[in-house]
Amino acid sequence: MTTEEENNETINRRSLIDKSCRFPVLFFIVSASAWLIFAATLGFIQQMKMHAPQFIDFSWLYFLNYGRSNPAFMTALVYGWAIQAGLGIGIWIMARLCSAEIKNPLTLLVAGHFWNIGVSIGVFGILLGYGTSIEWMAFPKAVWPILFASFSMIVIWMVMMFFRRQDRNVYISVWYILGSCFWFTWIFLTSNMYIHVFPGSALAKASTNAWYLSSLIYLFFVPLGLGVAYYLIPKIMGRPVHSSQLSYYGFWGLAVFGGWTGIQKFMGGPFPSWMPAVSGAAVIFMLIPILIVTVNQLMTIREDPSLINHSPALKFTAVGIGFFIVFSILYALGSFLSVGRFTQISFTSSGYQLLAVYGFFSMVMFGAIYFIVPRLMETEWPSANGIKSHLVLSVYAILILGVVHLFGGIWQSSAYAKFDSPLENAIAAAKPYAIGASLGWIAILVSITRFIINLFCLIFKTGQREIFPTLIAATRISPNK
Amino acid sequence: MTSFKKFILGITACFFFPWLCLVVIPHSKMNADIQEWTDADTGAVNAFPAGKPNIFRQGQIVYAQEGCASCHTQMIRPTYMGFESWRPGFGKEGTIEEPVRTRETRLGDYDGEEFAYLGNQRIGPDLSNVGYRHDEAWHHEHLYLPQSKRDFSLMPSFRHLYKKRKIRGQKSELALKNIEWSDDEEAQNYEIVPTDRAKALVGYLMTLKKDDPFGAVIATENE
Repeated sequence: MTTEEENNETINRRSLIDKSCRFPVLFFIVSASAWLIFAATLGFIQQMKMHAPQFIDFSWLYFLNYGRSNPAFMTALVYGWAIQAGLGIGIWIMARLCSAEIKNPLTLLVAGHFWNIGVSIGVFGILLGYGTSIEWMAFPKAVWPILFASFSMIVIWMVMMFFRRQDRNVYISVWYILGSCFWFTWIFLTSNMYIHVFPGSALAKASTNAWYLSSLIYLFFVPLGLGVAYYLIPKIMGRPVHSSQLSYYGFWGLAVFGGWTGIQKFMGGPFPSWMPAVSGAAVIFMLIPILIVTVNQLMTIREDPSLINHSPALKFTAVGIGFFIVFSILYALGSFLSVGRFTQISFTSSGYQLLAVYGFFSMVMFGAIYFIVPRLMETEWPSANGIKSHLVLSVYAILILGVVHLFGGIWQSSAYAKFDSPLENAIAAAKPYAIGASLGWIAILVSITRFIINLFCLIFKTGQREIFPTLIAATRISPNK
Repeated sequence: MTSFKKFILGITACFFFPWLCLVVIPHSKMNADIQEWTDADTGAVNAFPAGKPNIFRQGQIVYAQEGCASCHTQMIRPTYMGFESWRPGFGKEGTIEEPVRTRETRLGDYDGEEFAYLGNQRIGPDLSNVGYRHDEAWHHEHLYLPQSKRDFSLMPSFRHLYKKRKIRGQKSELALKNIEWSDDEEAQNYEIVPTDRAKALVGYLMTLKKDDPFGAVIATENE
């Protein structure tokens, strides 16, 4: 076979794979995006209510009180959007890297439907007053088995896909994706069992909750996000990663330290002091694998930096990795006792969650969506300006939220630390920052609306579309190049 | 990293140990042993945890369902970390009526609870000892309209835990007093009373007194 014939065969093969996973992957991406706009709306409402309880405070809207809208927003963002988008993209990358057409798409669709039913019951359950007030596990107690069953179906499918692979090489992204799914199942099942089912110490349940949250970030969102980035960056750059050895070290670094994190949230709390101390140290040690992996990826981009101006997928991924570095450094700083006493249990701690889930993971997911959906639909994005404004507004909003949550939290905690001044001062200190965060949420809402319009126009084939690959730089690369 | 088996074995080995130490073992071991101690002044033998009547679980469920833990903590850190126990502005209408015995929260303070609501953010004050600060009527009026008690409050109104009803016979003892009625006739004929959920919630708040004395440090009356 000549090179051209080989190329043609590869292209045909790819398009067959894309065709085979079009429905399940699009299902996950579209329903995740619908949850995203819902979550962002709730996010704006809860942020407004935090500093202005009179905001849309009608008697019949009592279910939007901060105490309900805040956990409902986080549940919708994490389970509705982030995990679901991650699964959709994970499935597509698995199919591509295993070089096999997907079988049993029905399994995926059924699992996806159950996942959405679970999240809907969860979010509306919280709003209707059946929540548990446990961070990231606030949904009513009956919901987690539904989520667990549907997630397990997808994991089993992924493992079967792995064994059916046609390509003998196993790429690093595959390990990252399989690892994240394996850990999620373990973390989710055992945390829920220990908190909701087994009797045990009430404090151990609280520490398990803190551990769950942090492990979910470090052992699900991080490996999945990095795995997707490890696929996208070399693919778009058209060159191998800077050092494949480093990416393995990074993976095992995550595996070794990731499970120890989380309990530093309660340093100084009523726990045996080794628990927060070990967690704090683990978060600081996590910087090593994280810097190894991210530097490796950024070095790959640096090999041909001009490409980043053209590809929206690459730009979003790079932005996500940038925010991830910021997140891990700030999180490590907050694990020191001297800083942590001001950042723990304040605005800052919710800022960390936003930075990890929105700043890092969602940005990488947006990048992947911009890359994948045109291939699934075999058409281009309708609006390059839409992508550009999505990017600019997102970065702007995340920067606002990051700064506001970080400094707001420290300012608020310092005000609380002045024990001889009245409570009023401490509460007043937090207010301006909460107002600032609301502005950030408006920017996020606008950016997401822009993204959703673009996505739905592409999928439902309405509106004008670009003929050439949609690139965000002014200069166009001709399709022949 | 070539085989699936090795991969699963590797990540299991990495993850099992932290999981065992941070999740499994604490669940069975983290209840405080009951310790007996003798009061130096009176010679009485006491125990910590004292085995007081448990917190009011029905109310704790309402506390969770309304998401109170989104803003309020139940964790008093040692003073080298911060000051959550007492400050001007706590207590009835901003006056310190009685010195409240406060100390940092300890391992035994949450024994017997379903879940320790240590809190996610500190937007409102810490509630570990809120049972000492106010009476039930204050809590009901505050829940109904927080700004009527604290004009700077960011707390939402929990009106949906209260119901308006026509007065039949005697006016209820629990009827709220901080209501602005639209006219005199309404004020004469109607009252706003707590529902069972509101009563449970306030009952729970009144049981929040995490200050059982223990041997090592004698809780002082004027801290």
